[in-house]
Amino acid sequence: MVSFEFLDEVKRMNKRQLFYQVLNFGMIVSSALMIWKGLMVVTGSESPIVVVLSGSMEPAFHRGDLLFLTNYQEDPIRVGEIVVFKIEGRDIPIVHRVLRLHEKEDGTVKFLTKGDNNMVDDRGLYAKGQLWLERKDVVGRARGFVPYIGNVTIMMNDYPKLKYIILAGLGIFVLIHRE
Amino acid sequence: MSSERGENVVEEEPCKVDKWNGTAVKNALDDDIRRIFTKVFEYDENHSLIDNRLRLCSVACMFAIVALIYDYLKPFPESRSVLAFCVLAYFGMMSLLTLYTTMVEKNHFLVTNQKDAAGIDPSDTWCCDSYMKRFDDEYNLVLQFEDGKTKEKRESSITKSVGSWFDENGLLLHELFQNDVCKLHSSLLAEKKDK
Repeated sequence: MVSFEFLDEVKRMNKRQLFYQVLNFGMIVSSALMIWKGLMVVTGSESPIVVVLSGSMEPAFHRGDLLFLTNYQEDPIRVGEIVVFKIEGRDIPIVHRVLRLHEKEDGTVKFLTKGDNNMVDDRGLYAKGQLWLERKDVVGRARGFVPYIGNVTIMMNDYPKLKYIILAGLGIFVLIHRE
Repeated sequence: MSSERGENVVEEEPCKVDKWNGTAVKNALDDDIRRIFTKVFEYDENHSLIDNRLRLCSVACMFAIVALIYDYLKPFPESRSVLAFCVLAYFGMMSLLTLYTTMVEKNHFLVTNQKDAAGIDPSDTWCCDSYMKRFDDEYNLVLQFEDGKTKEKRESSITKSVGSWFDENGLLLHELFQNDVCKLHSSLLAEKKDK
C-alpha cells in the first residue's frame, strides 16, 4: 500500500491557500530569475557567471572554477585580458586569453585568442574560414573567480537526470509544504 | 454558550497531522478556528487581507514572466531597458509585499465579520492571531474583537500546550479545541454585555 498521508495537508487547503502555495513556488523561481536578469543588466553580459569546463587555461583557471564576467561596451579589449566568447556552431562559450589584437581608429577590433595551456592559438577552434574574433562575439571579460564551486554545475551537466531529480524534488517539497 | 454550540452541530472531518511537525500542528489549529468561526458561529470570513497579498504576489510574478518572454523574443542587449524595469519592479513588489505582511497583515490568519442582528449597525470584526515558538508545544491564540458601532477594541488570549487538543496519533480533537475557543470567544462577548 502506498501511503499518501503526506498529501493530507494539501487536501485540507482551501482554494486561496492552494493558489498561494503555487504563487509561493512561482516567486522562488522568479526571484532566482530576476537576480540573474538583474546581474545581466548590471554587468552588460548576457551570461554574467560562467563555469570553466576545460583545463585549457591552467594554471590560471581550473575545471570547475566559477567566473564572474562584465561586458561594458565602452571598456576597450586589450591584449592579455581573459575573454569569454561564442563561436558560431558551438553551444558552449570558450574562456581564453587575448593574444593579438588589431584596433582601427573608429574603435572596431579584431583579435586572436589562445588558451594558456594550449600549444597553438584558437584558429582551429573558430568557425570554418574565421580568422579573427570581433566585439560581437564577446560574452564578457573575466573580473573575478571562485574556485571549485562550478564542479556542482559540471556534475549536473554530466548527469542530467540528477539535475532533473533534484529540481523536481525541491519543487514538490515547496508545493506540498505550507509556509 | 452551550446554546451556541448546541444549535450548530457541524460534522467535522477528521484531521490527522504529523504531531512532531510544529508548522503542520499550527496550521491544523488555525484551520479549525476558521471552521469554528465560519461554520459554528456563522460569521462571514473577510478575505480582503489574503486577497491583497495574492494580488501583490501575482503582480510580482507577472513582472518576472514579462521579463522572461521579452528576453526570449529580443535577446539580451536589445532587451536591456525592459529587463532593468522588470527587475526593479519585481524587487519593488517584493519589498511592498514584505511591508504589507509586517505592517498590515501582521499575524492575522483570519478576519471575520459578525453582522449586527438587526442589520442596522455596522458589523463587528473578529481578528484571530496565533503563534507558536519553534520546537515549543505552546500554542498562543489571540482573539481581537472590534465593536462595529463604538470602534472599541478588546482582546483576549489563551496559551496552552497543543497536547491538550491532539491525541497520541496526531488526530485533532475538535470537541476539546472548540470548547476552549468558545470559552475565549464568549468571554470577549460577555465583557461587552457588562458595560
